[in-house]
Amino acid sequence: MSGVSVVIPVKDGARYLEELLDALERERPDEVLVVDSGSRDGSPGIARAHGVELLEIEPGDFSHGRTRNLAAERTSGELICFLTQDATPCPGWLAAYREAFTLADDVGAAYGPHLARPDTSPMIARELAEFFAGFATDGGPTVQRRGDATFLSNVNACYARACWEQIRFRDVPYSEDQAFGEDLLAAGWSKVYQPAAAVLHAHDYPPVEFMRRYFDEYRGLREAKGHVEPFALASSAGHVRRAVGADRRWLRERGVGGSELARWTARATVHHAGRKMFSALGSRAGDLPAPVRGALSLEGRDDNGTASAQRPPQASVVETPGLPATEQIPKMLDAEGYQVVSRIWANGPAPLLDPVPGMADRERLRLAMVIPMFARGSGGHNTLFQIFTRLEQRGHACSVWVADMHGYAREVWPAVLREQIREFFAPFEGPVFKDFGSWQGADVVMTTGWDTVHPALELPGCRARAYIVNDHEPEFFAASTEHVLSADTYSYGMHCIAASPWLRDLLVERYGASAEAFQLGVDHSVYRPRPVERRPDTVIYYARHATPRRAVPIGLMALAELKRRRPDVRVVLFGANEQLYASFDYEHLGVLSPPQLSSLYSEARVGLCLSLTNFSLMPKEMLACGLPCVELSGISAESIFGEDGPLELAPLDSNRLADAMEHLLEDDAEWERRSREGISYVASHTWDQATDEVEAGLRRALRDREALAGS
Amino acid sequence: MSEMEQTATHRDLEAENERLRVRVSELENELVEVQARTNAVVAQWQERAYWLDRWHLDLNALMRRRGASEFRALIRALRSVVWAGKRARRRLKNQ
Repeated sequence: MSGVSVVIPVKDGARYLEELLDALERERPDEVLVVDSGSRDGSPGIARAHGVELLEIEPGDFSHGRTRNLAAERTSGELICFLTQDATPCPGWLAAYREAFTLADDVGAAYGPHLARPDTSPMIARELAEFFAGFATDGGPTVQRRGDATFLSNVNACYARACWEQIRFRDVPYSEDQAFGEDLLAAGWSKVYQPAAAVLHAHDYPPVEFMRRYFDEYRGLREAKGHVEPFALASSAGHVRRAVGADRRWLRERGVGGSELARWTARATVHHAGRKMFSALGSRAGDLPAPVRGALSLEGRDDNGTASAQRPPQASVVETPGLPATEQIPKMLDAEGYQVVSRIWANGPAPLLDPVPGMADRERLRLAMVIPMFARGSGGHNTLFQIFTRLEQRGHACSVWVADMHGYAREVWPAVLREQIREFFAPFEGPVFKDFGSWQGADVVMTTGWDTVHPALELPGCRARAYIVNDHEPEFFAASTEHVLSADTYSYGMHCIAASPWLRDLLVERYGASAEAFQLGVDHSVYRPRPVERRPDTVIYYARHATPRRAVPIGLMALAELKRRRPDVRVVLFGANEQLYASFDYEHLGVLSPPQLSSLYSEARVGLCLSLTNFSLMPKEMLACGLPCVELSGISAESIFGEDGPLELAPLDSNRLADAMEHLLEDDAEWERRSREGISYVASHTWDQATDEVEAGLRRALRDREALAGS
Repeated sequence: MSEMEQTATHRDLEAENERLRVRVSELENELVEVQARTNAVVAQWQERAYWLDRWHLDLNALMRRRGASEFRALIRALRSVVWAGKRARRRLKNQ
């Protein structure tokens, strides 16, 4: 590992800065940057005297997150260490950090303990030691991953530049390190607690100053978060007793006894009792008279703060004439729902691995398919798994990753997801993962829906990315965030493999994407004419109202018109469990299994299935069963079947759709022709053929990467 | 360097390139093989863990909880009593 930069934000830090910089001279990093935000105690002079780089910024420009990002941008080390101005590295500090980054391939950050300085009281020293000991029960370095503690402290931490570039510190006034710890683990990096990378940091305050400091701290906590420190005599006495007992044990273990132990026992009692009392007082500062507040505050603040400081968080907090009372809402989420998009916008996609010559033509590939959460009956997922299972059967190493951006699968564990995939769609044999904590890289990562793209763009260790586009998803949404984000997914240069020529052309023309098409296959072992009598009066309609692109209200108007013209026609609705309100009588079948659908298609005279976007699989399955089908013209069907192919096409007009259905009901010769042509036409449309086309697209994505590298 | 020597060096380099290409290809195949095996193992374990996942049972977390080891020791003690009883009964039957 080469190149280590150290960044030290400073304001009036002269007390320990000299000592800190001396320690760094011993540790010999490649670069030291001091960022001073308006010191008046000579700190910049100390930095200059040590010959380190000095960046001076206005005090008003300082923010913990923003300033550290700025500093990291000004440095060049592969590792970036952050220290505070009062944290002095112990011998071996830098070597320990270098070692931490060799413990796993995905280490994004490391942090070390804060040791007590010699003048630190045993009470503080014990608490610190116990806190950090909790991270490493065996005393050695510990790799922490998703689900472990998110703690990270910029008092003493070190970051891999690649990780910082991907995540960056949030622009928050405080706790940017804690936020980074959460983001880092969520993004699939690991972090290391390295006990050997220690700094001297803790320092003591005289008892009264210590208590006044706690008064201010808890006052701030009340103002910022509404926290009210509980205080009841019995429980507080118990708390103090336990804390003093722990201090005494700590001292005894270090050979302190006799009068010194008695003295420290008295100090510890005052310390813990005072802290408890001043914390409670601080969080109730608003109830105290102003002179008392001023006297208790180390900062000398006798103001009343904001109203929020004095009232419970649920109550009104700022009363402004003319405005209703506001309500303080506590943090409820770890991150915003589409936070991953924000990260991609800020940092761009993760870099792809260098191409390996000939990789596109290798017999077996490592394929990872990222899918959105699913439900039984999802046509898009069925298409994906028909193809992906066949890719697996061809020998590719296949895995499935469920990107659960919306938390739909929060309560579903991976083995259950896998079983559901096998039950709902196809007998996939590989593993199924939820989110990306175990991400292992891939030759091609396949994204499959708009809400899988941004998470997949963050994944490291990929040679190429491909986008299986089942539909033009921006059309699923009205003007909305989802509309914008789904359109955004086509702008990252991924090779698109589209589920129809119409969709391919749209992606190329509207988004300038690199795209090719595959034909949806039909499972001919299921969808074939069944030996059931065809009923000449029956029209069946795929009335999936929950899917707006199915134009169900228009379909129902067309059927109402048909029933008006031919009251004896039998209408059967299927595809949704909910019964729809209609102005005519109909029979309801709900969601059917594929064999049941096949029987239905073999029994009916006319099928009606509408799509306002990309052509779907269902009309093909109807045709395979010899059932002529009415679809919308002028959208996508012509790109597959031509203008006068096996499908009866009609414009988006309920009367014209009724005409088309009536035509098929009345004209036996025309019905025969379309039925025959339909069976013949879709005979060559198989999932094996679709798999061939998708596999060619995946290899093209790899080939494009090779060509790009060679150019 | 004579023309003949240059040609020989060029041939050597090409041979070395070819050897490296073959090696890369072998390593890539190994990587896919390892990945496929890993996938199979994970999938197998997912199949075995189905009911644990279905019922949200993390046995490791459960056994880390306070009292779990004691509970396990209690079960083992009870089991040994039951087994001892069974052994005694068998012996009595055999006599």
